[in-house]
Amino acid sequence: MKEFNSLDDILDFAINEEQMAADFYTDLAAKMKNQEMKDTFEQYALEEIGHRTKLEAIKNGKAYKIADSKIVDLKIADYLVEVDTEKTNISYQEALILAMKKEKSAFKLYNDLASATTDAASKKVFLMLAQEEAKHKLRFEIEYDNNILTEN
Amino acid sequence: MERSEEYIKNERKKEWRVELQKKTKAKDRMTIERVQMPESAPEERIKSQRIEVNKGLTAEEAMREATRCMDCVNPTCMEGCPVSINIPKFIKNIERGDFLQAASVLKETSALPAVCGRVCPQEIQCEQRCFYVEKLHQPAVAIGHLERFAADFERESGKISVPELAESNGIKVAVIGSGPSSLSFAGDMVKLGYDVSVFEALHEIGGVLKYGIPEFRLPNAVVDVEINNLRRMGVKFITNFIVGQTESLDDLKEEGFKAFYVGSGAGLPRFMNIPGENSNGILSSNEYLTRVNLMGADAEDSDTPVLRGKNVVVVGGGNTAMDSVRTAKRLGAEKAMIVYRRSEEEMPARIEEVHHAKQEGIEFSTLTNPIEYIADENGRVKQVTVQKMKLGEPDASGRRRPIPIEGSEYTIDASVVVVAVGVSPNPLIPNSVKGLDVSRWGTIEVVKDKMQSSIPEVFAGGDIVRGGATVILAMGDGRKAAANMDIYLKEKYLSQKVEH
Repeated sequence: MKEFNSLDDILDFAINEEQMAADFYTDLAAKMKNQEMKDTFEQYALEEIGHRTKLEAIKNGKAYKIADSKIVDLKIADYLVEVDTEKTNISYQEALILAMKKEKSAFKLYNDLASATTDAASKKVFLMLAQEEAKHKLRFEIEYDNNILTEN
Repeated sequence: MERSEEYIKNERKKEWRVELQKKTKAKDRMTIERVQMPESAPEERIKSQRIEVNKGLTAEEAMREATRCMDCVNPTCMEGCPVSINIPKFIKNIERGDFLQAASVLKETSALPAVCGRVCPQEIQCEQRCFYVEKLHQPAVAIGHLERFAADFERESGKISVPELAESNGIKVAVIGSGPSSLSFAGDMVKLGYDVSVFEALHEIGGVLKYGIPEFRLPNAVVDVEINNLRRMGVKFITNFIVGQTESLDDLKEEGFKAFYVGSGAGLPRFMNIPGENSNGILSSNEYLTRVNLMGADAEDSDTPVLRGKNVVVVGGGNTAMDSVRTAKRLGAEKAMIVYRRSEEEMPARIEEVHHAKQEGIEFSTLTNPIEYIADENGRVKQVTVQKMKLGEPDASGRRRPIPIEGSEYTIDASVVVVAVGVSPNPLIPNSVKGLDVSRWGTIEVVKDKMQSSIPEVFAGGDIVRGGATVILAMGDGRKAAANMDIYLKEKYLSQKVEH
C-alpha cells in the first residue's frame, strides 16, 4: 500500500487522481464518434477538474467537515459488467456505468486507506475523500435510476 | 382548433346542452355507479393472443355513464388531456344518443380516438382531473371507455367521414416511421394539401401500435381502419424502406422532398448489462412482441417462431413488461412471472394492465432484481439469480429508491427471459444525418412547441424526441409539427406570409 508522509501528501495524491480521471474522460471524448457523447465525456472531465479544485482549496487551508450521515449507496454499479473503453460508440447508459464504477473504486480506495491508517488526522482526510467519491457516485446512480431503469 | 375558455363556455350554453343539463338533476347523476368495462373471461382470453380483453360498452351503458358527467362550468378534465379534447361536448353527445357527432368531436383534436380510448392512461390524465375525483372523491366518469365507445361506433357504422382536403399544392413531404405521431402528422399535412409519403422500415404500417401493443389490448384491425382513412385521403405508404439505409435523407431531397418529419420512435431495446445477459433464450421485449404481434409467431405453424418456455421471466414493470408476460402466458407458459426492482406502487404500468395480468395468473415478484443469468452447457439460460431489494428513505426528490439487501440472493428457474426495462430512441436517423442536434440520450433536439430540429426542413416528434411517452403525446407532437411545417413551407415555397 502507498505510503503517505503528511496530510499534504494525501491531498496531492487525491488531486492527482482527480486529474487522471479528467484526462481519462478527455481521451474518451476525443475517441467518440458521436458529438453528443464527446460532449458527455468532456462534461465528466470538467466535473473531475471541479473535484480537483475543491481538494486544492482544502490543501490551501479551506475548512472541511465529514457529514454525520452516511451517503446512500444504491449499489447499482456493483452488479453490472465492465464497459469496453476501447470502443468508439459508447452509449450514454455505458458512460454512466463507467462513471459509477470509477467513483466506486475511488471510494473503496480511500475507505481502505482510512481503515489502514492509525493517524487520526490522516484518517479524517481519507474519510472526507471517500465521502466525496460516494457523493459523486450517488449523482451518477440517481441519473441511472431515473433515466435508464425507467421501467425497472 | 380553438380551445379558448370563451369557446368552451359558449359551447356549453348551446340549447341542446342546456336541455340536457336541466333534464337530469346533479344529485341523480351522482347516484349512478361508474360503469364496469365488460371483459372476456381470463380463462378464455389466455387461449389466444387475438381475443380482446375489454369488450367495449353497449349503447345503453355508454349513455348511462355519459349521464354521470356533470357538464362542469370549468371542465378540469380537459386540462388533464394532452391534446385538449372537448371532453364534456363529446360525452354529452353520447348522453343525447348522437354517437357519430361524439366521434366527430373527438376527431377535432385526436387523430386516433379508437386507439387512445384503449391505450391512453386516462386514470392519470383526464379522469384524474374529473369533478368526481377532485371534489367528491368518487370514481371518475369513464372518459376513456366512452371515447372508445364513440370511436368504435363510428367505425362499425361504416359512416367514417373523410375530412375536406385543401387543394393540392404539389409540395412533397416525407414522413419517417409510421407510428402514432407520424400518422397524425400525415393526416394533418394531407388535409393542408401536401403530397405526403410515409416511409416505414417494417412490412406493416402502424409502428409501435402494431409491433408493440398486443392485439388483446389493441386489435390491428382498429389501427388499419385509421391507416386506410389516411390512404383514402391521399397519403402514400412505402413499407420495407429504411431511411438512413435504403436511401438517405439527401437521396430523398434529390427526389424532390422539401421537408421531413422524423417519427422513428424508440425501437432500440435497453438491456441491464448484467453477467450472462447474452445467453440464448434472453430476448428484448421489442423482439419478443414484434415476433408475435407483427410476424404471427403465436401461430403453431409460424415460419418465424419465437422461443416458448415453461417458465418465462419478464424483467420490468411497465406496460411493455405486462404485454410481454401476458403474451408468454398466451403462448403456453406454465409459469409467467414479472420480476421488478421496485414495489408495485411504483410500477409504471397502468393499474388496469396489472389487474388484468393478475386475473390471468401472472406471478409478481416485486422488490426483486436480476443480478446474473445462469446458462446450461449449450449457452441457453436456465436460471436467473435475483436479489431482494428494499426501498430507502425518500431522497431530495422525495423518491424512495430501491437498495439491494445483501445476502438475500436466490435463483429462479427460467427457460425464457424477456427484458422490458425500457427503450432508447432509434439511432439510425440521429446517427446518419449530419448537422442534426442530438441529446446524450440519443433523442433529436427540437424547438419546443415547433418540433423543428437544428436542420430547418427536418421536424421530429414522438418517442424520437421524448425518449418514451404515451400515444397521445406523440400524436400531439405530430399535430404541432404539421402546423409549424406548414408555416415554414408556405413561406419558403409558396411565398405566402403566414401570421405566427
